[in-house]
Amino acid sequence: MKNPFLDFQSVPCRKKEIPLERIVRARKEIMDRLSEGYLRLVEEEVKDLVWLVEHSHVVRTYSAAVSAIQDLQYDQDDIEEFCAELDNANAFPYMISGPAGIYLSALINNAAEEHILLRLSEYERTFHFLGYRLPEGKTLVLQGNLGDFIGAGLCGGRLMVEGTAGNWCGAGMTGGEILVTGYTGQKTGEWMRGGEIHVDGPIGGFGRARFGGKIYQRGKLVVPHESE
Amino acid sequence: MIEEKRNNDLRKVVWELYAYIQDNLYLNRPDMQIKGREFNSALLMSLLTGLCEGKELIIGEPGLGKTTSAEYVCALLYRFPLGTIWGSEVSGHPEQTEEKIIGRPDLGKLNKGEEVVVWSHFALLPVKIVDEINRLPETKQSMILDGVDRGNWEYLNAAIINEEYCLFATANYQDRGTNTIVAPLIDRFDVMVESKHPGANLAYFIGGHGSNGVRLRSEELEAEFHSVLSENIPYPVRMKRLDELCDRFGEWLEAQEGIRTLSVADRREIRSSKRSLPFDLDFNAFLRFVVSELSFCHHFGQKRSNEACDAGCHFTGYLCNAVRNCVSNRLPISARNFSQALAWLLGDEEVDLEHLKAVLPFTLAHRTQWKEEVVAQREKEQRSDPLEIYMAKQAVKEMHRRYMEQAGEVKNALAVACRIVEGESMRPVEGDHPIYWEIRRDLGEEVTEV
Repeated sequence: MKNPFLDFQSVPCRKKEIPLERIVRARKEIMDRLSEGYLRLVEEEVKDLVWLVEHSHVVRTYSAAVSAIQDLQYDQDDIEEFCAELDNANAFPYMISGPAGIYLSALINNAAEEHILLRLSEYERTFHFLGYRLPEGKTLVLQGNLGDFIGAGLCGGRLMVEGTAGNWCGAGMTGGEILVTGYTGQKTGEWMRGGEIHVDGPIGGFGRARFGGKIYQRGKLVVPHESE
Repeated sequence: MIEEKRNNDLRKVVWELYAYIQDNLYLNRPDMQIKGREFNSALLMSLLTGLCEGKELIIGEPGLGKTTSAEYVCALLYRFPLGTIWGSEVSGHPEQTEEKIIGRPDLGKLNKGEEVVVWSHFALLPVKIVDEINRLPETKQSMILDGVDRGNWEYLNAAIINEEYCLFATANYQDRGTNTIVAPLIDRFDVMVESKHPGANLAYFIGGHGSNGVRLRSEELEAEFHSVLSENIPYPVRMKRLDELCDRFGEWLEAQEGIRTLSVADRREIRSSKRSLPFDLDFNAFLRFVVSELSFCHHFGQKRSNEACDAGCHFTGYLCNAVRNCVSNRLPISARNFSQALAWLLGDEEVDLEHLKAVLPFTLAHRTQWKEEVVAQREKEQRSDPLEIYMAKQAVKEMHRRYMEQAGEVKNALAVACRIVEGESMRPVEGDHPIYWEIRRDLGEEVTEV
């Protein structure tokens, strides 16, 4: 076919760039790097597609997550978008909840913002380990019903759950504060060493091995009990 | 250098002719401005029609100089005495026949068993004037379709093809005696102009001494022209002899009136230099832009006069939504031809956007069928042109504004498309205007989503 545009051969081509495209591209780049970091973490830490919740394992996974996100520039919106990516079953070849929550916690703990809000109520996937090792000076607000080990290892930060938390909420926390508007599951405050857990709803059960800290239910101190 | 000087001389002759007609024969006010110069649109378009072998439809009230302006332009540009032109004119009326328009059998020869065609002066002369064309019934308009389009006249088994010709037709506004000009015929006209009232003060002088065209008559030469036209000689020989007579009339005009006119060779030279003028990129892109807006339909693939597009169409803001018909392939031909002629007349080295902008309304006015609701919105607006020309001018203004807002982007889209066709891996530029969609269609994309 005749080239009907030949008269314009001498016109230099400009690549059109509208600001929205630039913003979208920048966000996509960040998202790609976040996804890449997560996949690397999963490949390194979950060799047999099985991930056991052992203290040493959790610590090692968190360290690997922190090193994976080094030099990454991101903000709260990127974290929220990454949650959506994790929720999308097609986005990752395999999704293992534990490392995903630890990776998200690493992102939250290393973000520039001091106050972070994540809206998770619309997601189908249950997120575990959110708020892991939340440091002092950080406030994390989580909206939605969450999985296990929420606020585990909390070390000075303030975690607000507008919804429910699963088992082992605040497990091994050393300081800071967890506020849950709904209920918490079994073994709330297991291996707790300091800080406070406030629950407005029912508490499924308390951790037996505790070394400090306080648990309140509807404003009333329930752990340590007066008799203890 | 010599060529340039010759070109300037020819241009000067045309300007002198324009001034002579304007000052002496066709008194009228200027009604348009191109690159700082004022023109009367009817006179300018008639002159360009004569120069570039075009076809012009002149509309207007009776007695406002539609036919006479065409006659003057023909007489001076082609060197025919006014009497010869009058003798070749075809007038539109319901009883008009092919024998009067094109040719008839030579009855004397027919009695002897020979079939010889006596061609009408209208078919023979290179200048053709059809007076009141819309008084021809629709069925008879088709008789002149081929001749109007190609200068190709056929009768019995004989045919002549005019090597050089231009056509002027006049039409009154609708009354009880007029018919609609059929779409295929009206589309064949390059331009449509209105011969306007000159205003009370100029009208006062019309018909006075020297303004009635008597100066353009030479009875002696007219008789010679008549004699050559009536002789039964082969067409090329007859045209050669007519050319000689035309030259004699030209000399007579120069001697009597001091007016320089154009010979056949001059006109050929003008056309050749006109054709060599290049179009600039904005001209090229804007014409594509215009054609896309007047032919595109997202829903039906292209405009069709028997298909009405939806009310909620995404392209409501463009002219494709305001017109009923699809613009024909003759529009870009007319626009290019007349713009080149205008650029030549103005002495420009390139045909640009200004030339196109000036010419486009006159090439569009008769070819565009507006939707009734669009006409209803516009018909009461204050204006100085007949509705068809006014709406075409407004449409061109609107499209030009749109083009200027995205000229760079349109040219870039066309450049990207060029590279894609040449095999480069690029994405076509996307945009809202129909031109971007047309480009993507040309690149083989199935464009359905808005």
